[in-house]
Amino acid sequence: MKRVIEVEELTRVEGHGRIEVVIEGTEVKDVKMAIFEGPRFFEAFIESVHYEKVPDIMRRICAICTASHSLASIRTIENAFDVKVTEQTKILRDLLIHGEMIESHALHVFMLALPDFLGFPDAIRMASKYPKEVKAALQLKHAGNMVHNIVSGREVHGMNERVGGFSKVPSEKELKDIRTAMVATKPTAELAVKLFAEAEIPKYAESENTLMALDPGEKFGFMGDYVLVSDGTRHPVQDYLSLTNERTVKHSHAKFSSYKGSSYMVGALPRILLNKDKLEGTAAELYDEHKDLLTSKNTLMNNLAQAIELVHSVDRCIEDIDILLSNGLKDEGLVEVEPKASRGVGAVEAPRGILYHDYIFDENGCIVKANVITPTAQNAANMEKDYRVAAERMIKEPDEKLVEAFEIIARAYDPCISCSVHLTRIR
Amino acid sequence: MAESEKPKIGIFSLTGCGGDQLMILNMEPVLLELLSRFDIKDFQEGSSYKEEGELDIALVEGSVSTKTDLERLKEIRERSKMLIAIGDCAISGCVQAMRNGQMSMAERMKKVYGVDEDYYDVLEPKGLSSYVKVDLEIPGCPIEKDEILHAITSLLHGDMPEGIDYPVCVECKLNGYPCVLVEKGMPCLGPLITAGCNARCPGLGLDCIGCRGPIPEEANVAAEVKVLLEKGYDEKYIFNRLRFFGGNFEDVQNLTKKFSEKTEKEEEE
Repeated sequence: MKRVIEVEELTRVEGHGRIEVVIEGTEVKDVKMAIFEGPRFFEAFIESVHYEKVPDIMRRICAICTASHSLASIRTIENAFDVKVTEQTKILRDLLIHGEMIESHALHVFMLALPDFLGFPDAIRMASKYPKEVKAALQLKHAGNMVHNIVSGREVHGMNERVGGFSKVPSEKELKDIRTAMVATKPTAELAVKLFAEAEIPKYAESENTLMALDPGEKFGFMGDYVLVSDGTRHPVQDYLSLTNERTVKHSHAKFSSYKGSSYMVGALPRILLNKDKLEGTAAELYDEHKDLLTSKNTLMNNLAQAIELVHSVDRCIEDIDILLSNGLKDEGLVEVEPKASRGVGAVEAPRGILYHDYIFDENGCIVKANVITPTAQNAANMEKDYRVAAERMIKEPDEKLVEAFEIIARAYDPCISCSVHLTRIR
Repeated sequence: MAESEKPKIGIFSLTGCGGDQLMILNMEPVLLELLSRFDIKDFQEGSSYKEEGELDIALVEGSVSTKTDLERLKEIRERSKMLIAIGDCAISGCVQAMRNGQMSMAERMKKVYGVDEDYYDVLEPKGLSSYVKVDLEIPGCPIEKDEILHAITSLLHGDMPEGIDYPVCVECKLNGYPCVLVEKGMPCLGPLITAGCNARCPGLGLDCIGCRGPIPEEANVAAEVKVLLEKGYDEKYIFNRLRFFGGNFEDVQNLTKKFSEKTEKEEEE
C-alpha cells in the first residue's frame, strides 16, 4: 500500500515550502523538501553593478537576516579590495549582528516555535493564556530591532553600514538607550532557555549529524574567516565550494548541499556545540546546566541553542556598547577603497547558519560574477534526512502525527525560504 | 467587539523577502492591540490557523514571479472585498524586476541554476496590478510602519487613506539636510522618488537609492539622467541605479532601451 504524506504549505516559517513523504508498505520510499518560493535571480541581475551599492541590493535577499546579508556582502567586497576597517567599525558591526540575532531568534523562539510546544496555532492566540510571556518576548524582539534602527538605519533593509565603515556613527545617547533596553529584557532571554529546557522536545529525528559553524576567534560570535566541521577539520571560507557542493534538484527552487557525500547542519546548535568553550557569563552557565540536552543527534534542540544565543547576544550587546562608550565615539568617515579586478569571499553566521557571498569584480569595481550560498539551502538535505528518520520511526502512526512531526522538525531549523531560492556556481 | 463583527483579514506573501509582513510584526508595542481588532483568517508566516471564505481586506506582499504566484493572487482577489498591495514587490516587482526587458528569464535561469527556462514555472517579475484590480498600494522596501498603521486605522474607521505624490526632496528640505546631490555630487535619486521615508538616507549622509519607487506619473527621469551625467556618472552606472527599484517603470525602460541601442551602434562602428 502506498501512502503519500504531505505538508501542503509550511506555516510559521519565512517563505513557502512543502514536504512530501512517500511510504510503500513498511518502507519510506521518497522524501522531498520542496521549496516553491519564486526564484529571484539575484546573482544574475547584480552583474555590472558598482560595488558601492551591491550590499544595498544583496541584503534584499532576506528581511529577517538583512544585516547578515549586508555584512556578508560588505566583508566580501572588503576582502576583494583589501580594505582594513577601524576598531570602532568592527565593534559596531559586532553589535549589529548580535542585535539581528536577538530580533530574529526572539521572533522564532517565542512566536514561531514555542506555540508548537504549548499547543497553540500562533503567538497571538497563545497570548490569551500567556499574555505576560508574549509581551515580554515582543519587548526582547524590540530591543534587537533598536540595534537595527540605530546602527543600521531601520529595522529591515537599513543602509548605514557601508563598505569601509559606517556613514553616521550612533550617538552616545542612542547607544545608552539600547543598553537600557538590553538590561531590562535579559530575564526574557533567560526565560526562553527555561521554557525550552522544560518542554518535551521530541526525539523522533534523532540520528547522526555533521555540523558546521564559523570559527569566531577567541570569543563566541557570528563572524569569522574559517569554518569548523564536527569531523575536527578547519577550512578557510575561500574553500566553501568544496564544503557545500551544491546541486540543482527539480523538486526545489533551492539547490541542495552536501559535505563528503552526506548532508550537514548549520545554525545555532552547530555554533553552540562547536564553539561551546568560547561562551562566557550567563550563556556559559546555561550551557553547562543543559549540556546533556544539547546533543548533536537531536536537531530539534536547535531551539534551545537559539535561546542560549539570545542570552549571549543580549550580554554581548551590552559589552560592545560599554567598549564603544569607554573608547569614546569618533566620527571617522569611511575608509578609502581602491577597487581592482579581483575576487573576494566573505561569510557570516546568519541567525540560521553560515552565509557565504562570493564576488568577482572587474577593474572598475563592477560585479562580473556573484554567488551566494544561504544556510537554509545548506540545511535542506539534512531536513530531508530528518523527515526520513522520523517517518521510519513513526511508520505505524497515523498521517496527522507524521505531518505534525515534519512541521516541528522543519520549524526547528528556523528555515528562511526567501533566502534559499537563488543560488549559482561560479564556473 | 465580538469576533463576528471584526473585519476579516488575510495577510499573504508572493515572491519577495518577507520584509513587509515582518514590518507588521515589528510593530511590537502595538502589535497585539492592532491584531486584536481583526479576525485573522490567514497569515502563513505568523500562524498555522487558516480558514477559507470571504475576506474584507487582503494585504498582499511580494511580486508575481511564478505561475503559482499568479494562481494564488487570483484566488486571493476572488475572495477579498479589498486588496491592498504592500511594498514595492507587490507594486512594481522591486529589485527582482531590475533586468526586466534587458535579460530574458531563460538567460536568468541558465546563469543561476544552469538549467533551461521551463525547469520552474517562472514569469517576468511584476506587481499585482499587472494582473488584477488593486484597491490600494502602500510603497516602500520595506513599507513604513507609520504608513501601514495609518492606512489600517483609516480603513477601520471606514476612510480610504491617501497616497503621497511628492518627492523625497520635500522631506529632505523640511529636515534641513544638506543636498547630497548638489553639495556632494552623490548620485541621489530623491527628486524622482516617492516621499514618506522622512528622507532617511540623506539624513544619514547617503544618497537615495529609490527604495520607495518613482512617483507615479510625476517622475521626470530624463531630467535626473541629465543631472547625473553632468555630475560625471556614466550612463551604464546611471541606468543600473535607476533600475534597482524601477525596472518595470515605462520611462526607465524606454530610456535604458535607447541607451543600449546607442551602445550597440557604437560598438558596431
